[in-house]
Parts: sequence; C-alpha cells; structure tokens
Amino acid sequence: MVLQHSTTHTYSHPFPTVTLAYFLRYSSPRLNPFATHVLSTDTISSHVDPETQRLHTTRIHLKKSRMPGAVYKLLPTSMTGGGSGDKSSYVLETSIVDIREGWMSTESRNLNFTGVLSVVERQHFAIPTNRGITSETDVTTTVNFRSRIGEKLRDKFGQAQAQSDGWFFSGWGAKRIGSTIESLASNKTQDQMGKSRDGMRLVLERIRNTGMIGVLETLRRERQIQA
Amino acid sequence: MSASLAPECNDVKERYDTCFLKWYSEKYLRGSDRENQDCAELFKNYQSCLKVALNERGINKLVEEAREDNKDNDVRLLSPPKK
Repeated sequence: MVLQHSTTHTYSHPFPTVTLAYFLRYSSPRLNPFATHVLSTDTISSHVDPETQRLHTTRIHLKKSRMPGAVYKLLPTSMTGGGSGDKSSYVLETSIVDIREGWMSTESRNLNFTGVLSVVERQHFAIPTNRGITSETDVTTTVNFRSRIGEKLRDKFGQAQAQSDGWFFSGWGAKRIGSTIESLASNKTQDQMGKSRDGMRLVLERIRNTGMIGVLETLRRERQIQA
Repeated sequence: MSASLAPECNDVKERYDTCFLKWYSEKYLRGSDRENQDCAELFKNYQSCLKVALNERGINKLVEEAREDNKDNDVRLLSPPKK
C-alpha cells in the first residue's frame, strides 16, 4: 500500500535565493506565518564534500502533528496513545545543494508514528535548463504515503485469526484501513502543500526586498523581543 | 530564529544558525570558501549541547532507524540529477 503524488512549480526567483529560503523557511513566524506549526528546528550535521563541493545538511524539525483527526479515530488507542491527534512529530530533513551544477535535492520523513503512517516528501529544485532562465527555479515535489497498519495488525492478531471471516482487522479490512489512512493523509497534505509554497514565496519576497542582511536583522530583533 | 528542541541549547543554536546563514549567503552561494571553517567551533558547541537531548528523547535511535531504512534514497540523492 503506497500512495504517491507529484507536483511541479516554478518560483520566479533565482536558484541561490530559493535554496536560502529553503533553509530559512521555518526560522521565524514573522518571516513565514505559515510555519507556526513548526515548534523547533535543529541542525544535526552539515558538511561540504571536498570533492563535489556539495553541501550536505541534516536537520530535525518538531512539528505539531499533521495527521488528521479522522486517522486517529480509525485506530485502536493502543497504537495512538489516545488523544485527538493533537500530537507532535519529529521530521528528519536531509538536503544536498550543488551550487556548481545548480540543483538542490531534499527529503523529509516523519520519525515517529511510522508504524501508522510514513510520509516521505522529496523535492528537487533546479535552474530551468530547457528555458535557460536564471531568474527562475523549477521545483518538483513528490510525496509518498505508506501505511503499514494493515501488516502490523495482521502480525499482531496472527495469521490464523486474520484469515477468519468477520474479524474487523483481517484481510481486506486491514488493507482498507491502510489505504484509508493513506488517502486521508494525502488529502490533508495537498492542502498543506499550497501553504508551504505560500510560505516559501513570503520568505523569498522578504529576501528580495530587504536582502539577507535585512532578514538576519529581523531575526535578531525578534529574538531580543522574546528575551 | 526558531527554537531548538532543547531550550537549554537555544543560545548556542542561535549563534550557529546566524553564522551558517551568513556563511551560506555570503560565501558558499558566491563560490568562495566552500569549507565552512567560520562556524566549525560554534557547531561543535551546539552539538555537544544538543547531543544530550537527542539521546534522552531517543531521537538518535529514530534517526538511525530512518537511515537504515533509507540507504537506497541516499544513493538516489547523491547521484547527479536526471537532465
């Protein structure tokens, strides 16, 4: 059971600026009001490959769970820990920037709740090679949804029981729960992807209007207000 | 600047983030100084603070599991893009 969808988009900003906006997109609600669900962001590794000059970065974001409430209602509390779905989840983000070749590849995946649903989002940013316009950046986004809940439940209740008729979680029942979770999450993500694009666009506008120094200044001032 | 998952690391994180963004926008993107020596010391301080929280919350383990699960994707990410 896997559900996938892909979209493409073009930002009317040059590639280097888009990569910078990617790193900045969760840095402040003042820069990006669409990122208030992001509670924290940490870098756990960052290095430039001496041969390729590519920058490899790994970050962990803590986000308020985007899992729809309806998903929680489908599941036994033994798997969700109860509650209404108002949980936080850790997201592992890996990215590679190749500034010489002009592309950036990113991947984000949830670290917890993977038994219920694993969501992997991949993005590829690049200078549009076919049109030769350096003031624009193309991005392809692919999101994969996979629910292993069916397999898990079958394992849990044993093969013999799973084959007996009428058992809610058996056979097709378990499969159906898996694909229902995938499609609920997919619908929700399509809403969310619009917002994430809007957020990127706001950060990009900010960089265009005030420059990087201006953005850093905004972040610094915000920090002083909080302190 | 966004918070760290460990509030006690906020200060060191803030310093590293600021350094990184400056290095990235002023040096890396402009093709000079591709080694990020500027921020190396700040990164070390930040990581020694963060490591404690990552271990305590079992996040290290989750990351390792995800990486195991994900070797194929590393190959994909590391290969040059399809034209």
